[in-house]
Amino acid sequence: MWMSVEVNGHIYEREVTEHWTLLRFLREDLELTGTKDGCSAGECGACTVMLNGQAVNACMVLAAEVDGATVETIEAEAANGELSEIQAAFARNYGVQCGYCTAGMVMSVRELLRHNPKPTVAEIKEGIEGNLCRCTGYQQIIEAVLDVSGQVTNETKGGLKYV
Amino acid sequence: MNDIFKYRAPTSRAELFGLLAAHGEGAKILAGGTDLLVDIRSGLVRPELVINLKKVEDFSDLTWSQSEGLTIGPATTVNDLLHDAKVRDCYPLLADCALTIASHQLRNRATVIGNIVHASPGADMAPGLLCLGARVQIASQRGRREVPLKNFFTGVKRTVLRHDEIVEAIIVPPGTAWSRGSYRKLKRIDGHDLALVSVAVTNKDGAVRVGIGSAAPIPLLIEGLTDQDPADTVVAAARDVIRPISDLRCSKEYREYMIEVFVRRSLEEVR
Amino acid sequence: MSESNTLSVATHVGDDVQRVDDTAKLTGGAMYASDLVFAGMLHAQVKKSPHARAKIVAINTSKAENLPGVHAVLTGKELDYRIGLYVVDKDILAKGAVRHFGEAVAAVAAESLDIASRAVDLIDVEYEVLPPVLSQLDALDESSPLVHPDLGSYDYVKASFSPQPGTNIPNITKIRKGDIDAGFAEAKWIIEREYTNPSVQHVPLETHVAIVEWKAADEVTIWSSAQSPFTLRDLFCRAFKLPYNKVRVIIPHVGGAFGGKAGIHLEPLLACLSRKAGGRPVKFQATREEEFSLLPCRSALTYRIKTGVGADGRITAQKLLMYWDAGAYADYAVNVTRASAYSAAGPYDIPNAWVDAYTIYTNKPWGTAYRGFGHVEFFWGLERHMELVAQVIGMDPLEFRKKNLLKPGSTTLTGERINEHTGNPLKCLEAAAKAINYGRLTPEEEERQARTGRRIGKGIATLHKAPAMPSFTTTAAVIKMNSDGSVVVNIALTEIGQGTATVVTQMAADRLRFPVSRVKVAVERDTDKDPFDWQTVASKGLLLTGNAVIAACDDLLRQAYSDAAQVLRAQTADLDHDAERIFVKQRPEESVTFAALSIGYVYPNGNGIGGPLIGLGRYTAQGLTSLDKETGQGLPALDWTYGAHGVIAEVDPDTGEYKVIKIASAFDVGKVINPGTMRGQCIGGMIQGLGTAECESYIYDDQGRLLNPSLTDNKILTAKDLPEEIECIAVETPQLDGPFGARGVGEHPMISVAPALANAIHDATGAELTHMPVRFEDVWRAIHNKQPIDTWVTKAPADS
Repeated sequence: MWMSVEVNGHIYEREVTEHWTLLRFLREDLELTGTKDGCSAGECGACTVMLNGQAVNACMVLAAEVDGATVETIEAEAANGELSEIQAAFARNYGVQCGYCTAGMVMSVRELLRHNPKPTVAEIKEGIEGNLCRCTGYQQIIEAVLDVSGQVTNETKGGLKYV
Repeated sequence: MNDIFKYRAPTSRAELFGLLAAHGEGAKILAGGTDLLVDIRSGLVRPELVINLKKVEDFSDLTWSQSEGLTIGPATTVNDLLHDAKVRDCYPLLADCALTIASHQLRNRATVIGNIVHASPGADMAPGLLCLGARVQIASQRGRREVPLKNFFTGVKRTVLRHDEIVEAIIVPPGTAWSRGSYRKLKRIDGHDLALVSVAVTNKDGAVRVGIGSAAPIPLLIEGLTDQDPADTVVAAARDVIRPISDLRCSKEYREYMIEVFVRRSLEEVR
Repeated sequence: MSESNTLSVATHVGDDVQRVDDTAKLTGGAMYASDLVFAGMLHAQVKKSPHARAKIVAINTSKAENLPGVHAVLTGKELDYRIGLYVVDKDILAKGAVRHFGEAVAAVAAESLDIASRAVDLIDVEYEVLPPVLSQLDALDESSPLVHPDLGSYDYVKASFSPQPGTNIPNITKIRKGDIDAGFAEAKWIIEREYTNPSVQHVPLETHVAIVEWKAADEVTIWSSAQSPFTLRDLFCRAFKLPYNKVRVIIPHVGGAFGGKAGIHLEPLLACLSRKAGGRPVKFQATREEEFSLLPCRSALTYRIKTGVGADGRITAQKLLMYWDAGAYADYAVNVTRASAYSAAGPYDIPNAWVDAYTIYTNKPWGTAYRGFGHVEFFWGLERHMELVAQVIGMDPLEFRKKNLLKPGSTTLTGERINEHTGNPLKCLEAAAKAINYGRLTPEEEERQARTGRRIGKGIATLHKAPAMPSFTTTAAVIKMNSDGSVVVNIALTEIGQGTATVVTQMAADRLRFPVSRVKVAVERDTDKDPFDWQTVASKGLLLTGNAVIAACDDLLRQAYSDAAQVLRAQTADLDHDAERIFVKQRPEESVTFAALSIGYVYPNGNGIGGPLIGLGRYTAQGLTSLDKETGQGLPALDWTYGAHGVIAEVDPDTGEYKVIKIASAFDVGKVINPGTMRGQCIGGMIQGLGTAECESYIYDDQGRLLNPSLTDNKILTAKDLPEEIECIAVETPQLDGPFGARGVGEHPMISVAPALANAIHDATGAELTHMPVRFEDVWRAIHNKQPIDTWVTKAPADS
């Protein structure tokens, strides 16, 4: 099927394979490999992208469905070589380890903060529930979100204790 | 995904119904896609044609009126329902059920009607909608028909829908608006999981209804109870209809026990 | 970085230096093996066995071969190579028989994934299905079918392992210390119980992936998500009898590994496909489902512990029997068995001990290394046992543990004498206990209990682990100076998320007295370009590679000083340096910059001296020995990292549902190199440990078919499952031979989380849990005295 889609501000016109998912289209046709495939079954969230301004699992959308739509991926998050505020907060708070869940995680945080600029810890957990991470144990990601939303207090500030 | 299928996105009912009538069993409806694409990938279904119904005008509508109640369209997502002010006001139980479905990004795609049409015994929207007396409006080239939700399910992943039909709307009657409601779901973790068992209980002006998921091949509804009935009576009514199984998620025995606990606790909450 | 011109000291080690790899990972720019695409690349797919044990009667591949776009089809028949880490027991594709559900029986390389998938569907395999051996205890029975009838003919590493031909046992490890009978004779109480764990999955977010190209003249290049490039090359070359300089292994960014990507997995099969397809690169990435049974898991364990305790509460003797379920291949399970055997008693002083640890073949997906290397599994039994023993003898579980902890002067099971530098298990235990207010409920907790009707309990557990590695494990580092005075460090220890690149940057910067911005640790690992490292496993990287990096820095500085001495007409002893220049101590204005020396110094008249500054550092584990095969005595431990967890749990006494209110964990790491990355390692491990404690396990039907190879039915914890509070505590007893006094902590946070949780649930409800995972239903059954369900093997249908 012939289609036109705006991805990260660029219009792409392409013949798409009708049974391909948006995830395969992004990674294999457009070679935007920042979005990762962790399960292809909607369980892990590694492929989370913004579709018409909403976070979705790219593995749960057919490429053909995005005809005429707007898609944003991790590749558009940093501008002019500068990390976005969310990305910078992840870096400051050690919210990255192996990095495979990171793109999807950043997308979910963006979606959360768009609706809710000062989320509580419970709301942050709800917001990233669909993004599995096996390395960090999530805590430092949650701290990054508190940080970027200007909510770091002595109580929420994480840190190693020494005895 | 091994299977090669064709994709169509009709923009009118006529076009949609025509495609369904022409392709019969080979066509599958794509709404949110969160069940269909999983089933295609695992080889459980092998459609020749996938029909995206989201482009049909007005299919995303979610409307409420004093006379008609709540009308949920085929493309209404779970998050649309969850964040709708009218739903939260009139049928907060539905929002409670909706919030337990999968994860936020999945709820951005998954549709309320898809959750029902997929007819999983543990469908999270089923117990609440059953308690609230929802009706299913079915449409095809041949016309429209309506069935009560309690008569919609016929087995595990089976419904009364024929191959050329779609669910055009789920209607929640105004009479059950502002019911007291409670939904409890047993999961393996706090995070997103399927219902090992689920129980919804509503109380509308003394009339108590109980909806139960993952306890039989289809979601169950128990009617004809009142808030004057002792808990033991309600539990006994539940025991009469449930037929849970043991599987890899938990045992029959634990399912039976938890249904009883959930019924008691939810009943207490809505009295 | 200090600008001082004399003897500046460590300024990055111990500080929160931001990760050096985070920008690439946060922007989507970091390339993983799964992101790589090459011209002419083919895609592989694998035909997998639906049976746990069967004879392969016939395989018909003709339809697949004739499908346009297919370039190679392989079956086991034409592959005469065997692979194996310690026992060489695995064919690249099943030959004649399948030994587990999901085993690869045929493979295809085609121009697209879609074509390859269709081709695999067109392969017909005829099986004669045989009854599988599913329980490792059944497999010990003399009447049990043999998973490997040819075990006696396999090659194996003779120094460490003892296969028993004619049985299902590829290894037994024995440890004998003191006089076990005398020890039990002394005891006032003897308590014996059995504890079990199922197999579990590592679940790295990136599944296994590799691309292999086998070109003419046997030029092989492998791009892989593997943890250990040199071990991969070693095993590959041994299997194919290729010279090592013909095979190049490249490891880009790795999306999580946790032990599952140690060793060798997909690479030999892809290599054979590539060779058959005329040398085109062949790529394969496992699906999430394949990750569960085409690739390995963590072994199941049954642990029988018999403990004798004297009237004073001191343990007098312990008999420890481990039955490890290797699954269909020995892989790492034989070494998990060995490492677990010599650590089997935990950080306790056991005067008389007897350990028999068996590795046992069954018809299930095979077990491999997994974070903790056996210790997560056996500490479940051990630290539950300590709790139950304390209860029987009427002593507080914390006091009972403290009374029996190792202390300076104690000896381990293998006869190693512990001293005050080994680490401090007591300090860890006390810190964890204090962090949860062990032994009582606070007024807030009392109030919460009254309000919710849920019961709050507290539990503790200790842990220890030493790297499980050859006694002669070595590594090296190369540090090269660029012409602007910045440096690049080459090591083969891979960055798999644990933060290696960052802490190596910090250590190199401090040793050189440079700012971290001048130090780069190269991202990719490449066996053609990087110096040798044994493996990225065992929590040994920080100590071994750290020491090698320090030596490499010193070597580079030695060269720079030597060249500077010539330039400055001074003796090296008269020189000192800061971040920019080497100068004469007594006349600092007489100096030469590192930049000027970096690739050879040039005099004003054009004469050149010196040359590129390239430092080499090597390090070998010092003084370790093999273990005696009969007694297990010897010195296997590079270092011991001790730790302890405290858990506060809240349990619904009616339903068994529970949640973790708090987890607090302490580890004696010697010296914290980077508090932020250490805390990340700790919390990540604690939560991974909680996941395996709460809900993770392989579930089979009675035919050995895996019922839950997906994230739908093999749940791992989400952000919503975190404890309300997580506390991470560092104890710093410097390791004498550790870089900056540090020792590893990569695996330890995951160990003993499960028993700490179960001890807390036990404290809250009296539930005597002996089986992992601790699902709500298990707690309910334990509280209500119902028969436990054993769902490792279930007769239930796959779906409701």
